[in-house]
Amino acid sequence: MKPLVLEQVSKQYGEKTAVNRMNLEVEAGEIYGLLGANGAGKTTTMRMVLGLIYPDSGSIRYHGKPYSQEQLRMLGYLPEERGMYPKVKISDQVIYLAQLRGMTRKDADRSLRSWLEKFNITEYYNMKVEELSKGNQQKIQFIAAVIHDPQILILDEAFSGLDPVNVELLKKTVKELRDNGKCILFSTHRMEHVEELCRNITIMHRSNPVIQGKLKDIKKQFPRERVILGSEQPIQGLESVAGVVRVERLENGYQVWIQREDTAQLLLRHAMEQTTLTRFELLEPTLNEIFIRTVGESNE
Amino acid sequence: MKSLSERWVSPMNNFFTVVSFTMRNKLRAKSFVVTTIIIAALLCIGVNLPYIISKFNSDSGPDKIGYIQGNVASVTEPLKAYLAAPVDGGEAELELVGYADQGSPEANEQSLKAAIGSKEIKGYILVSDAAADDFPSVAYKSESMFDSSITGALRTALQAVKQEQVISNAGLTEQQKALLLAPVKIESAQISVTDEGAGKTAEQQGLALGFVYVMIILLFIGIFVTSQLIATEITAEKSSRVMEILVTSVAPLKQMFGKITGMFLVGLLQITVYVIVFVVNVSMPHNKSLLSGWNLNLADIDPRLYIFGLIFYLTGYFLYSTLCAAVGSIVSRTEDLAQAMTPITILSMAGFYIGIFGMSSPDSTLVQVASFIPFFTPYAMFLRIGLTDPAWWEIGLSLGLLVVTILVLGWISAKIYRTGVLMYGKRPSFKELRKAMKAYKV
Repeated sequence: MKPLVLEQVSKQYGEKTAVNRMNLEVEAGEIYGLLGANGAGKTTTMRMVLGLIYPDSGSIRYHGKPYSQEQLRMLGYLPEERGMYPKVKISDQVIYLAQLRGMTRKDADRSLRSWLEKFNITEYYNMKVEELSKGNQQKIQFIAAVIHDPQILILDEAFSGLDPVNVELLKKTVKELRDNGKCILFSTHRMEHVEELCRNITIMHRSNPVIQGKLKDIKKQFPRERVILGSEQPIQGLESVAGVVRVERLENGYQVWIQREDTAQLLLRHAMEQTTLTRFELLEPTLNEIFIRTVGESNE
Repeated sequence: MKSLSERWVSPMNNFFTVVSFTMRNKLRAKSFVVTTIIIAALLCIGVNLPYIISKFNSDSGPDKIGYIQGNVASVTEPLKAYLAAPVDGGEAELELVGYADQGSPEANEQSLKAAIGSKEIKGYILVSDAAADDFPSVAYKSESMFDSSITGALRTALQAVKQEQVISNAGLTEQQKALLLAPVKIESAQISVTDEGAGKTAEQQGLALGFVYVMIILLFIGIFVTSQLIATEITAEKSSRVMEILVTSVAPLKQMFGKITGMFLVGLLQITVYVIVFVVNVSMPHNKSLLSGWNLNLADIDPRLYIFGLIFYLTGYFLYSTLCAAVGSIVSRTEDLAQAMTPITILSMAGFYIGIFGMSSPDSTLVQVASFIPFFTPYAMFLRIGLTDPAWWEIGLSLGLLVVTILVLGWISAKIYRTGVLMYGKRPSFKELRKAMKAYKV
């Protein structure tokens, strides 16, 4: 039984369709990437999963069951817009939020202390949120989302506003949660995080899921359109090879955009006639390119 | 497919978690503690003020006024006698002190001024002879300007002396004189048409008036200030975005009523503190004797008034606080709150002013009509119960209307709240709100 399944979920706001026929399955121990430009319907999708908004049609199932108060306690939510009580002690408000999700005061306190220890910020227990830096507030917010050990975790822009050290720390934590069998719905604009963390993704565009599936398979669907040529000497006339779109000179070599994959072979032959190559690679498209292509193209 | 509200069914303990969190935060807030202490201190001072003032006054006894012995003795001697023994039997306010004639008016004034200088007297009077039938004219001189209480007392006394003289000259008998001088008595008593013997004496009326006055102010503070606070807190939760996490953790309804209940308990606690401070101070021996000196006894207050005060506080609070919660929920930024609150502010102000200004005419049509308009009922009906004697059906009807309004508005407010907390950006219009409600299926 998969922890989270969305089937043909749609949501209208008046005339406007916010989410159109969304299908999505997340397994235990998986981080699922939900991508899309601003206003593509990610937040609405997440809010429906959280039970804040009820879908117009379709169904959302949690371990095979429909939404109920018990499901609510299984959910953890890190909203995109961070929010805590600025003037309330951290221990007070995090324990409060944990209590609202069904933990006892004692358990919540123990859990909070162990999380603070994990993040090396035990001294914040008695501090107020407004006294912390933005990055540390983020950590507290993260703790508030996971303190009650939710089976399903919804992370909206989890790493935004963090310095690289803290990004690594939170990334490591998210991976640990995944390895502990949690089901994580993950939204971000940072494609490199998705490439690193997610097995399956959905790219949403204007309310529709446009690309969906295993990250590896998606990449295979897109043609390889970039060639790296490594060489000590300059190579003449790369632009004149049939099918070349653009050539960029690198420190020790060239980056060439091509129209079709077989152009790469022509390019290789052309280059080898002139000099010795130290490197030849036909690159997979990055997720960034796929995203911009999918979302950008249809934007025009 | 179940509706969203049905899906938000969960154990009660979440509700109490919200209540206790609200209360703890409020009680711990420095501003709250400081305000409570300051108001309690002001109450202490206020209650003891009459005693403190009387303490200062009683030392000095009656104010002493100087005069020159033999200066138009036909006026000054009766005046002295009159001031020494006021007809109403109270304490003497003024006392005339005679000084020996120094021979010339200048020397006389000199000696009187010296007496003021040495604080023997506060001021002095000079009486100048007048034409045969006229009453002599009197001048009062002192260091202070506009000493109206002393001149007033002197005027009354002189008037009496003059009447006495005129009457004696007219050759009336003692009996006639007494009859003429006896003050006219008018007694005002409030009666109950339905309940024989339930009327109130003048003292009780005064007491009731004072009590109603204080209660209406307390009601206003309890209802208006606290519900404003609720709106502010909800908007703050929204603008700090903690709301997003809250609504995914606890049913919005439970959250809203948990907050309202929590604030209510805090408000009740605060009022209890004030009442205890007040009662303790009033029942101190020195204040007790002062009150009984004025014929006032707090036990004389109709116990129904306490009960109705509590009922109207409770109902008024829930009426206004649910409305405020709804308004607070649709505003995204605290800066915009005051504007959005204006209609509610006007409503509660109107109720308060009807209560205060209606006190002089609690039977007026305005107050009667207002007492059946739920937004004004807490003030206007309480006023009527306190000062007049409305029929039981009137009280019942107004309370019934109030309760129905609370339920209806509470239901609507809850819907608005449920929708509003998720809407960010510009304050939504009613149309947008209705659309959103439909979309969210609340």
